[in-house]
Amino acid sequence: MPELLNIDNLHLEFDTYDGVVKVLAGVDLKMQRGDVLGLVGETGCGKSMTALSVPRLIPMPPGRITAGRVTFNGEDILSKTESEMEAFRARHVGMIFQDPVTNLNPLFTIREQLVDAVLYQRAQGQKVPGRWRGFLPSVRQMRMEAHDRAVELMRLTGIPDGDKRIFDYPHQFSGGMRQRVLIAMALAGDPDLLIADEPTTALDVTIQAQILRLIRSLVSQLGLTVLLITHNLGVVARSCERVAVMYSGRVVEESPVRELFKNPKHPYTRGLIAAVPQKDISRGGLEGIPGMIPNLIDPPAGCRFHPRCEHVMETCRSAVPPAIPVGEGHTASCFLYPEDA
Amino acid sequence: MSLLLEVNNLQKYFPVRGGLFNRRVADFRAVDDVSFALQEGKTLGLVGESGSGKTTIGKCILRLLEPTAGQILYDGADITHLKQRDLRRLRSEVQMIYQAPAASLNGRMTVGQIIGEPLWIHEQLKGDAARERVLELMNVVGLKEEHYYRYPHEFSGGQQQRIGIARALAVQPRLIVLDEPTSALDVSVQAQILNLLQDLQDQFDLTYLFISHDLGVVRYMCDEVALLYLGKIVEVAETEVIFEAPKHPYTQALISAIPEPDPDMQREEIIIRGDLSHSFPQHGCPFAPRCHAEKLATCETVPPPLIEIERQHQVACHLHPPISIAEIH
Repeated sequence: MPELLNIDNLHLEFDTYDGVVKVLAGVDLKMQRGDVLGLVGETGCGKSMTALSVPRLIPMPPGRITAGRVTFNGEDILSKTESEMEAFRARHVGMIFQDPVTNLNPLFTIREQLVDAVLYQRAQGQKVPGRWRGFLPSVRQMRMEAHDRAVELMRLTGIPDGDKRIFDYPHQFSGGMRQRVLIAMALAGDPDLLIADEPTTALDVTIQAQILRLIRSLVSQLGLTVLLITHNLGVVARSCERVAVMYSGRVVEESPVRELFKNPKHPYTRGLIAAVPQKDISRGGLEGIPGMIPNLIDPPAGCRFHPRCEHVMETCRSAVPPAIPVGEGHTASCFLYPEDA
Repeated sequence: MSLLLEVNNLQKYFPVRGGLFNRRVADFRAVDDVSFALQEGKTLGLVGESGSGKTTIGKCILRLLEPTAGQILYDGADITHLKQRDLRRLRSEVQMIYQAPAASLNGRMTVGQIIGEPLWIHEQLKGDAARERVLELMNVVGLKEEHYYRYPHEFSGGQQQRIGIARALAVQPRLIVLDEPTSALDVSVQAQILNLLQDLQDQFDLTYLFISHDLGVVRYMCDEVALLYLGKIVEVAETEVIFEAPKHPYTQALISAIPEPDPDMQREEIIIRGDLSHSFPQHGCPFAPRCHAEKLATCETVPPPLIEIERQHQVACHLHPPISIAEIH
């Protein structure tokens, strides 16, 4: 079965006044239809950049893709023209972001914003007839249908009284409800892929649990494929089937969820799991990872984790470790594991 | 062991203004009748969702906010109505570490100046004597000597938080209010900072009031935990008790909502409806509209008092009535 999404050896750089920032240095990621993949990593490891390069939302310049391919359903994304991309975004990819406040326009009601999203999707990225054309029967009909669809989307995402609340402004919604509105908006185009970029980071734990439950139920109801970006390993353990761990512009380990937590292979993944305060850790038992994330203008040669790694070997300093299979559907990019095992 | 801090019936209402002449039309009850005590050398966690009043309590203890009513006893002395002059002495004993390390450091001062400022204010220390103390403090929190002349923006979040910690330690405080000290940091850095805080506590006999919304961190750091909901304490107990045998429905829901990094963990997931809303019925239990437990007639009419149901375990819930005298005998 062909992959829905295939990111192959993606290299991304940004030009800044301080020099060229090598944000992504060979990201490989594959997603099958129906996957729920968690992309985990710390600040600055490139998880959002990886996700944003799928709908090609990275501003270029200053960004620059220097190598690699992104294919979606077999289509090459990087060679599409901008207008083809608009149609692609409208039909295939929905995105939700961390901060539900800044992603809604405070000056328009939810209805206006949701209806716009629905119409944009129906027009497949072409120009949407303005509201002022509502005197034309065809346009009015279209907008009324879009309204019904918007209410339907609100019901789907669990917003009570959607038919009334659709006339409210964003400030009248709580954080969790706003995130639901954004999910509704992302679903307007029946996307194949939902990219959720830290969707619960700004929310309280009780609301986080509600939103994660909603995402899971959408996966089973609509057969969505979800790329869930988060820095919270707990969120991944609860909602994903597969995990990819990123460090400094590369995927260092990829595995089914259970396997990753039971049997982490890459030293970075081990460090990350050991750094989360958990139930059985007594006072003083928490381990951090020594050092800091590397500077991306002048990253360490070889494996980018080697300056912080306790198992560092001579090869680590010069060669980039390939993804080595270490178990059933489990790969780790680390020289600790023999390549032909 | 002595009580270092005692808070009795603390209230902080903020005025809601509106109407003609911008009158005070209502009160926003940020903190409503909160009482707790903190033993010297211990760590008490204040936990709650955003808007539950955690930070307001912290600020009232330092008198950065004036409490509306109630009493704060520090080391046996009432500090609720201290005059501005005496407050300085209080603040050399009680310090605060803030959530956003970047925003709490002055971007126009070097690290040396930032950490040295409290030394000048409280001990009139300057010149080489101050420099020596600053370098000593920097060493304690894991900063290097060459950082002395650098500016905050040159540091990562974790390093900035170390600067904030060094600044708080400069006056040799006994009590530190930690307001979400690691919520802006990545987990690997968070672990470093939490370990540093524990080392400092052992080294300098510090007492912590640890404000956080992250229950995992609280379980790791605290001896005792108080849970806040809409400005009221709903449950207080030792950390183990809170996590192993929570009694209040809100505590139960909150603990079940922590995403544990363990996919095999099977537990009952309690999803509470709705979200924190200050428009709860003023008469009953503030949690009643979201509560998943069985409803009693009194839930909507009588606010549940915080009562001791076991030794050192207080709960404010009608489902957990006090143990009657008869039961004890």
